[in-house]
Amino acid sequence: MNELTTALWARRPQQATRIVDAHAHAGPYSVFFIPDPDPAGMIAVMDRCGVAHAMLSSHLAIQLDAAKGNAATAEIVERAPGRFTGYLTVNPWQDPVAELERWGDDPRFGGVKLHPDLHEYPLTGSRYAPVWEYAELTGRPVLTHTYSGSPYNDLPLVGEVAGRHPRATILAGHSGVTPLGIDQSIEVAERHERVILEVCGSYNTGAAIAGMVRRLGAHRVVYGSDFPFIDLRMSLGRILFSDLSDDDRAAVLGGTITALLGKTGA
Amino acid sequence: MSEDRPVLIDADVMLGRHPRRDVGGGTVAELLAAMDRVGIAEAVVGSMTSWLHDPARGNRELTGLLAGQPRLSPCWVLLPDTCGETGAGFAGAAVEAGVVAVRAFPREHGWDLAGADAAPGLDAVESVRLPLLVDAGQTSWQEVEALARAHPCLRIVVGGVGYRKLRQIAGVLDRTGNVSIGLADLSSHRGLEWLVSRFGADRFVFGTGAPYRDPAEAVTRLLWSELGQAEVAAIGAGNLRRLLRKEVRAA
Repeated sequence: MNELTTALWARRPQQATRIVDAHAHAGPYSVFFIPDPDPAGMIAVMDRCGVAHAMLSSHLAIQLDAAKGNAATAEIVERAPGRFTGYLTVNPWQDPVAELERWGDDPRFGGVKLHPDLHEYPLTGSRYAPVWEYAELTGRPVLTHTYSGSPYNDLPLVGEVAGRHPRATILAGHSGVTPLGIDQSIEVAERHERVILEVCGSYNTGAAIAGMVRRLGAHRVVYGSDFPFIDLRMSLGRILFSDLSDDDRAAVLGGTITALLGKTGA
Repeated sequence: MSEDRPVLIDADVMLGRHPRRDVGGGTVAELLAAMDRVGIAEAVVGSMTSWLHDPARGNRELTGLLAGQPRLSPCWVLLPDTCGETGAGFAGAAVEAGVVAVRAFPREHGWDLAGADAAPGLDAVESVRLPLLVDAGQTSWQEVEALARAHPCLRIVVGGVGYRKLRQIAGVLDRTGNVSIGLADLSSHRGLEWLVSRFGADRFVFGTGAPYRDPAEAVTRLLWSELGQAEVAAIGAGNLRRLLRKEVRAA
């Protein structure tokens, strides 16, 4: 057992590693019921497991209204700056330039969140051009939803934007989700050094995550949970028990994303 | 290792290869190694062959594969007997073979869980008090409820419920007494705690969905839950033991 699984079996929060969740949300979501979706409920789960920090975009921002949702994200971070950093959500149909101008320099935000599937707009589309300009200028990461086979955010589209914008750091959210998508995400990341794989997704496994690290290095793989969309512990458990060295596990759980944010001053 | 470490018995495991993802060779040795890796003591085991190729053959083979494996108990796959595939004496044969639970794949095997075709077979399973395991994706919550009402002594465990169905799960749990929920992919944020607070820990059964799912998910979800030790002990092993001892709370 490693120190984290020892803490798990003792049913106490782990303290061995600074865990940073690189893919979180907050608030209710109309499609299904989420118990306790607000920041207090999220912090309770983080404290239960020993998760230090989470990077989030509000569900309001990704689902309905980027402007109101980004304001909600900023308020959540304002109330708990030690626990949360915001992703500035850009909806291509809701004035991307205005959102980037309003929040782009705000210290409560550390990166940009895109959800092409929800917004039914391809990652390669011209409405996202201001995002890539911002990302290349600031060095701040762009977390995009990905899903193998999607017309909007399949892995070849990630490769296309990474090729067009080589100075942009792109977090491939869910790493394509499916087993095929995970393979494709590794191949895209092998071709584009600033593509980082974020590992939450309903079909990922610890074995697949260990495979990502073997192919790319732990500096290219980051833990995310998608909570409270999905419970934080599902993705965390896969990494806890995966066949990784202690150093690689610590990098995936927090070191890699912390280093990425440190480079941007976020 | 702590003496009061929770015991975990996995009600939701399969042997065999899977055609659409790399789960390894699916052997008994691999399953035992996977259980040891995450700390699972025992498992109720089904067969990929029964699920994805030939239920009768898979059931027969499973009995042999698990002979002499004290940590592993067999779970056969049920079909309606309309075509004589598994035989009219399925339930009795299962008991004779040491089977501890049966599993159904109605959506992929082309039958209705609450329909007339399967009713005699389910009557027989109910009469010998074998629990029925079914994944949520193989049926509908309306069918689960109809089945539970039609067979009030049949113990039904629904696994693989995901994170999008609490509105339906809560309704069915509220209106039935013989439906339990498996932990494999029970993945709503704080959903386990919310459900236990409403319905009690005795309605939940530990399971992982391995090897299709990573068993580390359910282990971590339960052990780092916000539930007390007694609730974790019940969900981890006690409730399944109670089901396998053929006790049932009538609706």
